[in-house]
Amino acid sequence: MKTHKFYLSLILLTLFISCSDDFVEEDPPFAVTSGTFFESESDFNNALIGAYDLTQATYINVILGEIASDNTHAGGESATDVVGWQQIDRMAQTPINADLDDVWDFNFAGVQRAAFIIENQDNIDFDGKAQIIAEARFLRAYFNFELVKWFGAIPIKPEGQFQLGEELSIPRSPLEDVYTFIEDDLQLAIADLAPQAPQVGRASKAAAQALLGKVFLYQDKFTESAQQLQAVIDSGQFHLFGTQEGEDFLDLFEFSAENGPESVFEVQYSGAQGAGFDCLQCSEGNVAVGFSGVRGYIGPVYESGFGFNLPTQETVDAYTNNDLRKELSILDIEAWANDTGATFNIGNQDPITGHTGFYNKKYIPRQNDNLPDANITHPNNYRAIRYADVLLMAAEAYNRAGTGTNDDLARQYLNQVRARAGLQPVNSSGANLLNNIYNDRRLELMGEGHRFFDLVRTGRAEQFIDGFQAPKNNVFPIPLEEIQFSQGNWEQNPGY
Amino acid sequence: MSKWIFLLLLSLTTTIAFSQQTVTGTVVDDANLPIPGVNISIKGTTQGTVTNFDGEFTLDNVSLNDIIVFSYVSFETQEIEFTGQQTINVKLEVSSEALDEVVVIGYGSSSKRKVTGAIATVSSESIEAIDPLNVAQALQGTSAGVNVTPNSGAPGAESNIRIRGVSTNGNSAPLIIVDGFQYDGGLNSLNPQDIESITVLKDAQAAIYGSAGANGVVLIETKSGERNQKAKVTYNTYVGLQETSRELSLLNSNEYVLLLNESYANAGLTSPAPSLSDIENDTDWQDEVFETAEVISHNISVVGGSENTDYSMSASHLDQEGIVGSDKSSFKRTTVKLSINTDVKDFLNLKANVFHTNNRSKGINSFGLGSVLFNAINIAPTISRDRDNLDGTIDLGNEVVNPLTQLRNTFNDFESNRLSGSFQAELDYVKDFKLTARYGFNTSKLNNREFFPEFNFGSSKVFNRDQNQVNLNQQDFYDYTFDLFHTIDKTFFDDHDVKFVLGMTVFRSHGEGLFGSRTDVPNNSFNFADLGTATGTGDNQTNGSFVSEFRRLSYFGRVEYSFKDRYLLSGILRRDTSSRFGPNNQTAWFPSVTTGWIISDEEFFDTGEWFNFAKLRASYGELGNDNIGDFLFLSLLNGEAEAILGENQELTNGQALGPLANPNIKWETSKKLDIGLDLSFFNSDLDVTIDYYSNEREDLLIPNIPVSGIFGTAAPGSSSPTINAGTVENKGIEVALNYNKEISKDFSFSVGYNISTIDNEVTQVNGTEFLEGGQFSVGQLPPSRMQEGEPIGFFYGLKTDGIFQTQAEVDAHPTQSTLGGPEAQPGDIRFVDVNADGIIDEADRTNIGDPIPDVTMGFNLSFRYKNFDFSAYSFANIGNEIVRNFERDQPNVNVLSRRLDRWTGPGTSNSEPRVTAGPNTNRIFSDYFVEDGDFLRIQTISIGYFFPEQILKTIGASSIKLYAKADNVFTFTDYSGFDPTASTGEPIGGGIDFGFYPVPRTYILGLNVNF
Repeated sequence: MKTHKFYLSLILLTLFISCSDDFVEEDPPFAVTSGTFFESESDFNNALIGAYDLTQATYINVILGEIASDNTHAGGESATDVVGWQQIDRMAQTPINADLDDVWDFNFAGVQRAAFIIENQDNIDFDGKAQIIAEARFLRAYFNFELVKWFGAIPIKPEGQFQLGEELSIPRSPLEDVYTFIEDDLQLAIADLAPQAPQVGRASKAAAQALLGKVFLYQDKFTESAQQLQAVIDSGQFHLFGTQEGEDFLDLFEFSAENGPESVFEVQYSGAQGAGFDCLQCSEGNVAVGFSGVRGYIGPVYESGFGFNLPTQETVDAYTNNDLRKELSILDIEAWANDTGATFNIGNQDPITGHTGFYNKKYIPRQNDNLPDANITHPNNYRAIRYADVLLMAAEAYNRAGTGTNDDLARQYLNQVRARAGLQPVNSSGANLLNNIYNDRRLELMGEGHRFFDLVRTGRAEQFIDGFQAPKNNVFPIPLEEIQFSQGNWEQNPGY
Repeated sequence: MSKWIFLLLLSLTTTIAFSQQTVTGTVVDDANLPIPGVNISIKGTTQGTVTNFDGEFTLDNVSLNDIIVFSYVSFETQEIEFTGQQTINVKLEVSSEALDEVVVIGYGSSSKRKVTGAIATVSSESIEAIDPLNVAQALQGTSAGVNVTPNSGAPGAESNIRIRGVSTNGNSAPLIIVDGFQYDGGLNSLNPQDIESITVLKDAQAAIYGSAGANGVVLIETKSGERNQKAKVTYNTYVGLQETSRELSLLNSNEYVLLLNESYANAGLTSPAPSLSDIENDTDWQDEVFETAEVISHNISVVGGSENTDYSMSASHLDQEGIVGSDKSSFKRTTVKLSINTDVKDFLNLKANVFHTNNRSKGINSFGLGSVLFNAINIAPTISRDRDNLDGTIDLGNEVVNPLTQLRNTFNDFESNRLSGSFQAELDYVKDFKLTARYGFNTSKLNNREFFPEFNFGSSKVFNRDQNQVNLNQQDFYDYTFDLFHTIDKTFFDDHDVKFVLGMTVFRSHGEGLFGSRTDVPNNSFNFADLGTATGTGDNQTNGSFVSEFRRLSYFGRVEYSFKDRYLLSGILRRDTSSRFGPNNQTAWFPSVTTGWIISDEEFFDTGEWFNFAKLRASYGELGNDNIGDFLFLSLLNGEAEAILGENQELTNGQALGPLANPNIKWETSKKLDIGLDLSFFNSDLDVTIDYYSNEREDLLIPNIPVSGIFGTAAPGSSSPTINAGTVENKGIEVALNYNKEISKDFSFSVGYNISTIDNEVTQVNGTEFLEGGQFSVGQLPPSRMQEGEPIGFFYGLKTDGIFQTQAEVDAHPTQSTLGGPEAQPGDIRFVDVNADGIIDEADRTNIGDPIPDVTMGFNLSFRYKNFDFSAYSFANIGNEIVRNFERDQPNVNVLSRRLDRWTGPGTSNSEPRVTAGPNTNRIFSDYFVEDGDFLRIQTISIGYFFPEQILKTIGASSIKLYAKADNVFTFTDYSGFDPTASTGEPIGGGIDFGFYPVPRTYILGLNVNF
């Protein structure tokens, strides 16, 4: 009896002392940690895919950039549907704006994912690493350039990812420093990028050159800009879609023309995966497309959507009747309904932000078998930089370089774009030519998210956008929460 | 340290010598009648026996100076020291008070007299009277300071239990301990009829559970048999009918068309409504959606015991259908329970409990934008019930569809199988010294199958599917708790009682899950909805998995000391190590002290007839919380990285960082103070308990705390880190009164009342000014906040000041166009310029209410007259607000009939804005949408009839009770929604009503038979 007790006690005692604190020292099961990553070529490839993922979230830059401009009304269901967009349409934005915060957050998420690769670039060596690092630099520059367009001076950290706490110490760098940083990334990218992207959807050397040309243009560095853009033109990789056998210009924004001969850099979307409203940036589809669709639409060719981003009558009237781009860019819903028997609903009827009868035809939903919620998973790729844009930027750079000797080249590039639209060439030069370029730039790139920033960088925003005040509205307010997180380290943009 | 004490104690066991004898005797009552079944034990051991039918006993192996304890239900326990007597005859006194009731306190027990912490208990009588479908309901209104809110009225829905307020915006749910082991199955998987009692530890006494106890502890004891008890068989069954407790007052077709026409006319637009003479339908969608549904329950249990063993077993089945969607929203629960308690040797007791539960449920979209009830409220009455595709009717936005069609297209099946239990060995290795080893476990297997058929609800509806899809989800969880503890219970020099517990607990939880999804199920039918039968190919055929792992190691000690049975002191110290924290913060210590003074035992205290007992209690302690995700201190590559690459535009997966890591994450600490008074009056007929409490929760583990966007937390699959970022305080007073009186043999009654106040305040938020949450309407700013100086989760919106009556009033007021809409017109809501900057915008938002009740109350009444018994339970919440968010912001949806009282011209209304289909800012979140959530609910009324003796004899039963019961009988409230308890229960974002599935009113007829 006694011995039984003794042994039982002994067993329990053994249990008691056999447990020590290392019982809780467990590694996460089957998980990869940052400490065990970037140890193979595939790790670098996988991280790069993660950085490309965020280009899809730039849908918001496109649609909101368009709404901010004089091209479109915010639209939507009512005058308070997506309040942040409505305010921007009225140029009444304040630092409390959830949608501007999205622009900030989504693009910085892209910066951070690209920086994750760049800061680990020396971990291992393998063939093809330079290409991957170059693409990461291209993407970081792409996101940073978006941020600088929207917010002006931003915090930068060339060596890698921002770490918790650095919001208190890293300042908003002066504009020149941010631009230098973007230029450096792009120059390094251009040096290592292959002329042909390794896969459709990734950046080529020309994409980086075109972006750098645009970055220079935004700084009025016309000669440098023209040089980069000329390199893209000289590469011979691109031509205007619709100018060669078997191409129809009016198909340019259809699925069939995606990643075509005019595509310099294209953000890729797919409808093959479902998505939800709780994480719009997670969608693999182009959220802006569903948001731009006709409300309650029933009829051929198109699918319904939320009725945002509505071209105004003034925009439509800006096209001459023989301009093919009117047909390419604008859907007149009344006329279409008359022709086809389609039916639709009208949402917001506010005179300033509401219904116009027109839709942004380039990026409204086409019938397709995308997955639910179908309104936010449309597969329409965004033609971020297309050759027509390159030609028009080159024309502008040559014209504005100021020597006068390059107007011939400028006129030639402009007329290439006009010819495709079925228009007569212009013979102007100097300031008249520049006005022609500006005008065609608006009509050519209508609905593609460039107009607001073109007006701002050329100092014409106040003239065209109702309610716009320069210099206040040249940039958007830094989101209030960011000012608070930085505890005063980042100052608000003047006037907000 | 603890190991050495243990070794020392162990060495004592083998050195003490014994001399043992046998003693016999008889136990009688006041009237000298023998009492059978009296428990006789040697104190500090499990060694013991019981009296036979003649009240006689024989007790072996008694040592000199052993204390022999005689105890029997409703008699005073007596202790006699063994001094070598051969015979001990005992007369037991009838117990005059319930103060000697045993109270479980975690890793041991105490008596109601001597317990020094703040507890609430729910007795088996209350549980029987309430007879709940879910055990949690038995706590509502019966326990001061405990608030229970159902997640939904849907069958099988879980409830949120909050003890003394919401103190964290992480997980606020209390720890559930069933028969000593941690139970993680959710209370809806327990059979309520298996429950003997529920004890809630509300204060620092819960510190024995250390890091698991910060939200309070609910200790559930299940029914067990007694020694030498003839098998007692109980069969209980009931059938019930459930119906909705409320329907909202909405517009009928005529009213709808008239108001719609007016709203379009006000906007200068043509109305899309049919003309009055063309109205074809007047569908009452609520009538269409709500049904009367059945509930049926069977329960059978057997308890009993022999000399050395007692046992209990039970089986039950519950079948409940929903009042919305009937069989599409149903719950079936089957449970089996077995417990055995046996003395293998006089020094070794073994105990085993096993619970098995099979839950099977089907659910509908029940709480949120686009839920069935949301649609029933918003869809136009002019639409026919048979209209599956709403094209060609009227534009109702993208979410509102025919709720009947939605129900018909809902297919899912959720099944869970749980096996839980504990095995325990108690070893009395030396007098007064006891070792307990216990292994408790939960295993569960969850299978979820969902099918979304290909269907078109109408153009642009969010529920449309071009392709059908089946989703399968299987999850396995396993956890064990191993406890090893040592109890010493010793009296020194007559007056000094010491109880010492020293032990350790090992906890491990492991989970794995597999998910798969496939399209193109044959025949678009749920009957073939499986991954194998589906034929889809391409990117939408997806799969996934997860693995989780959590471990905790704890050492604890507790000393309970009482001097003269009247000065009570106990101290608890617990050390926890958790795998959820990084190397620097893995370990934390949690101390607590509780004290008590039984004033009524003092000589100066004159306990007369009317004042019988008084005890003053005080406790203070620190408890912890590690209720967060696993491995948050590490950066994991578990983010989402998907890009479309290649010629064929293929979805390509990469790797990316997941949630932002916080390497410095550490324990959340709860500092609990409680001062209480327990009083008894009128021969203990009236018990009064009064408590003041203050809980300060520091270093709140706030998940997903917003940080600057530069850290990339907006990236897919990433999220903000969990940070120790705040402090929340809950303070209040609880009073509980219970009066029991036996007027005569035929008539007895009891009345209970409790009231608790909660003063909740966030005292600190680090790193950010506020946290936001919740959702109001569509595309609006988050309506709920956590912010310093305010209650957690308060509503943050615009304040209103009536309706603009004239253009002059509009002109005199700061502009409202800065809200993003047009300038106001007469008939629109006037918002207050809170910051007085001359414009109305988002910066004018302020505190417009909060979802936490200031006061909660419970009132219970029961009486018994001859063969009848009656009981009524009710509870009330006062001082909480609720947000009406079931009205879709869309010009053509149906509305509440209060809108008939709209503004139509100067002086017509100062509360209901005009109707208009044009742009306006009336729908922006303001106190127009915030209503008083005060309510009083008559929860249960029950009447029972006990069959008389004669009938029982002929049947051979020992008791038969027939009863009728109504649940959720009536709710007194001004709230205009279905149910004022509507809430997701989220700390930030709760109290917002999206069209809550109301808790049904239930009429039940039941039968209870004992053999």
